[in-house]
Amino acid sequence: MNDFLMDMIASELEDAVGRENCSTRTIDKLTHSVDYFWLSRMWADRGKRMPEGDFVVSPKDAEETSKVLQIANYYKIPVTTWGGGGGTQGGAIPVCGGILLDTKRMNRIYDVNTQGMYIECGAGAIYKHIEWAANEKGYATMHYPSSLTCSTVGGFLAHRGIGVSSTKYGKIDDMTLQMEVVLPNGSIIKTSPSPKHAAGPDLNQIFIGSEGTLGIITKAQMRIYEQPEERRFRGFLFHNMTDAFNAGRELLQKFKPSVMRLYDEAETATLIKKIVGVQKKGAFMNIAIEGTKELAEAEHKILMDTFTKYGAEDLGSEYGEKWWKEKITFFYPGYMMDLPQMFGTMDTIAPYDKIEKIYWEMKKAIETNFPMARFIAHFSHWYEWGCMIYDRFIIDDVPEDPHEALRLHNAVWSCGVRTAIANGGVVNDHHGVGIKLGRLMKEQYGPAMQVFEALKKQLDPNGIMNPFKLGL
Amino acid sequence: MLISQKSKEIIDSCRFCWMCRHICPIGNATGQERNTARARALSLSLVERGAEPLSEVADNMYECALCGACTNECVTGWDPVRFTREIRLELALNGETPDYINRLIENICETGNVYGMKEYTAGLAAAIKPHTAKTDTLLFLGRDAIYKSPESAINAIRLMEAAGIEFTVLENEPDSGFAMNFLVGAAEETKQIMKSCADALDYDTIIAYDPADAKTFMRDFREWDIPLKGRTVTFTSYIEKLINDGALKPKKSDITVTVQDNYNLSRELEEFLPARNIISACADIKEMLLYNKDTVLAGNLIMNEYMPDVMKAVARNRAVNALNTGAEYIVTQSPAEYEMLKLGGEMPVMSIEEVVLKCLQA
Repeated sequence: MNDFLMDMIASELEDAVGRENCSTRTIDKLTHSVDYFWLSRMWADRGKRMPEGDFVVSPKDAEETSKVLQIANYYKIPVTTWGGGGGTQGGAIPVCGGILLDTKRMNRIYDVNTQGMYIECGAGAIYKHIEWAANEKGYATMHYPSSLTCSTVGGFLAHRGIGVSSTKYGKIDDMTLQMEVVLPNGSIIKTSPSPKHAAGPDLNQIFIGSEGTLGIITKAQMRIYEQPEERRFRGFLFHNMTDAFNAGRELLQKFKPSVMRLYDEAETATLIKKIVGVQKKGAFMNIAIEGTKELAEAEHKILMDTFTKYGAEDLGSEYGEKWWKEKITFFYPGYMMDLPQMFGTMDTIAPYDKIEKIYWEMKKAIETNFPMARFIAHFSHWYEWGCMIYDRFIIDDVPEDPHEALRLHNAVWSCGVRTAIANGGVVNDHHGVGIKLGRLMKEQYGPAMQVFEALKKQLDPNGIMNPFKLGL
Repeated sequence: MLISQKSKEIIDSCRFCWMCRHICPIGNATGQERNTARARALSLSLVERGAEPLSEVADNMYECALCGACTNECVTGWDPVRFTREIRLELALNGETPDYINRLIENICETGNVYGMKEYTAGLAAAIKPHTAKTDTLLFLGRDAIYKSPESAINAIRLMEAAGIEFTVLENEPDSGFAMNFLVGAAEETKQIMKSCADALDYDTIIAYDPADAKTFMRDFREWDIPLKGRTVTFTSYIEKLINDGALKPKKSDITVTVQDNYNLSRELEEFLPARNIISACADIKEMLLYNKDTVLAGNLIMNEYMPDVMKAVARNRAVNALNTGAEYIVTQSPAEYEMLKLGGEMPVMSIEEVVLKCLQA
């Protein structure tokens, strides 16, 4: 694009959002070019500039967002939406340049509604801020991912995020009542006033997880909950993971703990030992029970009876309490894997009849095909019917050449995720798809992918919205 | 880059980490990604790797308030303030300091204060006049109070008078060096200002009214081995002692207040209780969700010189926190936050000395 046209578009964008909220400054382009995706970090670590947006715009609401999208459609320039940039899949990277739309000015908390039990807020609000707003009134969002302090409401919605208390309170898609969305043509729509209805398919669930490819979420009503009277923790050590899966499944037929996390032997011996202090061999499992005192008491008894049946060693409450206190510590520099290591989380989910096999097959596939890789895993989001694997690979000796490092990274990912899909898993559980896994979406969905493609074609005929993400 | 190895280590640790995003008062006010410790670290890591000249990211280094909220939040103990200060020094040494910062530096060089002001208000001059004789105790008002918040300075003097003690206030108070340190860090010029200040102060007790000066005297002077004669105490700890000793006897009122902890006191000097003890004697306190070491900046008068809209937004955000407590007033410990919160206009503001004075009168 020539300088003259660039200036013309910049002036239109400035007109839409205000001059101070449309930037072509290097610092703004640069800081929106690297997210939490390992490849973008590696690229920057090697001193290379990632693809950057040409214009960084920060609309304050749906109306300004609408104007930006109309301008983008007219000039047919790409629009990539950025919330907190904490995504691991490269979903927020403006790989084709164009407009980088940062949502964080849409951070207003409009209402903490203790009658309707929701907070209405702009999609650019940091989730920790809405948690604080709930806390100030004695409530809680119960959405506690490790990225709670980094990420926005819209960011979590865009990739179908999840928090550590998911077993009791659900994923982000279970916590959403209504959303305001700006369609690619600039139309501002609202989803159904209630998330449970028989008025056709659920519009919320079309846009949640769409990663900015079908529109931009600008406002949302997120559920809040009463603070539990009591939150109890109990740590257990299982002889093996089969016993743990059976115990977990049986427990979930009786009640829902808030936190359920099972660590494989490798992760128990590394991360759990380092941060929580468990020194023993086996598979560590942490359970949290919460709610009224009476219910917590009853559930505690059921928990102990059930896990004893499967030979679990009761480690008491101390490890669980320490884990709760340190639950975000795992992700700080110095605790989390970091460059120069290569690493990734290939989280997938499946029913109980498949999940353990997926774990062993993925472990075998990674360790066989990439002998330099370590494979560790935990199982952190559990349902009555199945659970997810948070499985990670770590490679210490990484090619210095960034192109070679990229090839190795993608080969590991393709191997791991294809193994998951072949054994009944999905492309991803809660980090999303982005550009990292787009190529594998067709492999999971096959002809079902045409549903997504049709939606994309109808809503975004110029293909401007977050190109090359989600396999669309 | 010529910065320390430690700072380079911090940069490489912070460049991909956003864990402190939620706590940055500037980032929360602007909604701009560049106003994060991560953004500053990432850009500097790219400068270090030759992908970008330092001058391209210079402005962003002055958008940080150096309040240390990020450092306080970091579980691992990384300190983004450290590399930001060092980069400001490097920019100055390279002659790459932005023009609007250079103007402030020139103000300090020409007038002795960052605001370029030459005279005290008549009211403040009159309040100082009875206290110019040398005593053992100096009330050091500081640049922000003298030039930007004379009402605060006058109230501080009035409160000391009410206690019936003898003290000195200098008609030509020296510059502590806080502003130069804020703008360019540990430059020779900064240390020279601090040395001149130390040489000019010869008192048994120096009461630093402004927490920024207290931090400068009690931390920076010591760190840079600049000897200051006598004992330095914070204004709040001094007033607390006057109340404990019975020299000041406030009568508790029925007002409800929330306290804006200044980061220089609560984080840098780890002083928390004196303000609580003073205010508890005067009013009921309703704490904000984030207080003590977790406090959030409510404004910076130096930054207000070059990014006033952002500073107003910073103050407004903090006032909203205060409003959510249901308190009637927000009580400040620093003249900068007092003035900025008044500009923010969301909630009635009182300085801590105003609260005590009001309760003495009652």
